[in-house]
Amino acid sequence: MSDVATVLVVEDEFAIADLLEMVLGDEGYRVLLAVNGRQGLERLAEGPRPDLVISDYMMPVLDGAGLIEAMRGNEAYRDIPCIVMSSMPETSVRERLDGYAAFVRKPFHLAAVVELVATILAGTQTGS
Amino acid sequence: MSEPEVEIDEGALERVPSLVPGLDAVLCGGFLRGGLFMIQGSPGTGKTILASQILYSHAAAGSHTLFVTVLGESHGRLMMHLRPMRFFNPALIPEHVTYISAYHTLKDEGLKALQAFLLREIQAHHATLLVLDGMSAVEAATAGLGFELKRFTYELGTLATTADCTMFLLTTASGTMSAPEHTMVDGLIELRQRFYGARSERRFVVHKLRGSAFLEGEHAFRITRAGVTVFPRTEALLATPTRRDPPSGARVPTGIASLDTMLEGGFPAATMTAVAGPSGAGKTTLGLQFLAGSSAAEPGLLFGCYEPPERLRLKAATMSLDLVALEGRGDLEMLWYPIGEHILDELAARLLDAVRRRGVRRLVIDGIAGFQQAALEPERIVRFWSALSHELRALGVTAMHTLEMPDLVGAEVRVPLGGISSLAEVMVMLRYVELRSRLFRLISLFKVREGAFDPTIREFAITNAGVVVGQPFEGVEAVLSGMAREAARIAAISAAGEDGDRDLSSGDTARSG
Repeated sequence: MSDVATVLVVEDEFAIADLLEMVLGDEGYRVLLAVNGRQGLERLAEGPRPDLVISDYMMPVLDGAGLIEAMRGNEAYRDIPCIVMSSMPETSVRERLDGYAAFVRKPFHLAAVVELVATILAGTQTGS
Repeated sequence: MSEPEVEIDEGALERVPSLVPGLDAVLCGGFLRGGLFMIQGSPGTGKTILASQILYSHAAAGSHTLFVTVLGESHGRLMMHLRPMRFFNPALIPEHVTYISAYHTLKDEGLKALQAFLLREIQAHHATLLVLDGMSAVEAATAGLGFELKRFTYELGTLATTADCTMFLLTTASGTMSAPEHTMVDGLIELRQRFYGARSERRFVVHKLRGSAFLEGEHAFRITRAGVTVFPRTEALLATPTRRDPPSGARVPTGIASLDTMLEGGFPAATMTAVAGPSGAGKTTLGLQFLAGSSAAEPGLLFGCYEPPERLRLKAATMSLDLVALEGRGDLEMLWYPIGEHILDELAARLLDAVRRRGVRRLVIDGIAGFQQAALEPERIVRFWSALSHELRALGVTAMHTLEMPDLVGAEVRVPLGGISSLAEVMVMLRYVELRSRLFRLISLFKVREGAFDPTIREFAITNAGVVVGQPFEGVEAVLSGMAREAARIAAISAAGEDGDRDLSSGDTARSG
């Protein structure tokens, strides 16, 4: 991991994407944005390789489940931790999706997400 | 990889009380936490005072708040105008109430930068409440770009939720749901000033409050040094009484033994009695006699609009009723709101507050005209009185109110505010009647709902020992016309084959006018 951690935010709701970009940028992260799962895969291919992906669950073109499934099937991205966001309860999401690091129920508080990102990235750095 | 279940606070319907008296009742609990609310109104309607009161009240409780201006008053002028307000506390500035200007950010960098500016200030100050004063300037900055304004408002809504900061946008716009941004906010509140002839009244309207019930329609409010106080419309606030107990069947003595006999024991407990009669007939006197029965077990309250307490104490003293002693013991309270520019629902709030505060059981409202004069929309008065009466019953109050009849004497018995008198369980009529060149005071019971009563018409007198109800006014007919005739004399005239009316009108003393 470089000195500056990179976070890929995949979110079709522009207000949430904008706020996450602002708040994570203020925390010193490099933030990449994508508006759906397919664009998220394109960002992964373009690089730089993110240290963390925050993805919405319900999105057009390719949803969060499709994105994470594709990532898990690719050796290059398999180990990138993912935070899944949804306004649905996690029990509903878990029926179609597993292999994520954390789940965030919308509406969420930015401060809690920032703390979660820091916790997951710290765990990645220490290998836990 | 592990899959920790991290559920972050949903904050869905948590409330933030406004801490503005009366407002949380209109909002059914307060604002939704993390919501975006627009407060609109013409200049001078009280938007800034309302928003400041909310911020300072929360700041006083330890919250951190932000007052962001765009193109409004300077911060110095804002504070200068707030200085007379009791909620204004300079010691809370800047730690708990922070004033910042976003003018340059908006002017030089646009809406996107303004959003980022707000986010960073919220984070820097750990603000949980934010007022953005000058949405009109934001609207002007996006002139013709409705989509941009809508997008900005949408982003602010998301910011409010995710930053856990309840936001208030102040704007001079008026009207309902016409502007695109109105559809994007969680709540839309309007402050109005309504004119009724020469006087005006401030009104508060909630047009929209997502995810919550609220009291619809207009609610009066007042701005004093204490800040904003909202008086929810009584018939909306008390649409259903707070309690519904079955009638106990108990009677509450009126303080006049002979009247108690007519009423089979007194006024039915927890009911409303209307005492109707012309000016000077003895309505207030009857009320004083009733209140003289106040005690620690049955606290009394006089809620008057006519005679001030000093005069009532004197009046009672002439009947050997010592109201001063009752007041001294705390068994009686007298409140006086002379007819003037009162707010109808403020009167109701003060009355109910006084009843609840002392657990009042005996209440005299003297008279209903005080409420009638305060009702700027006369069509409200029956609905208002119905709600108030039901609540008084729910509070276990045995109440009587006076009702002024327009004519001293006359053939026509007109009960004003007929809708109101029909809401009373007991109706007592006081009348003057002229007979043999003398005025007599008469008392009669028109109704005692679900109870037996003596329907005779009786003479009564106000003596230095109090009200004395006499025997039935017998041997006289057409008493309620105010121009009584002695029945025996008329019968004699009829038997003689004469025209009684013509005869009586030709100077017979049985009919004197």
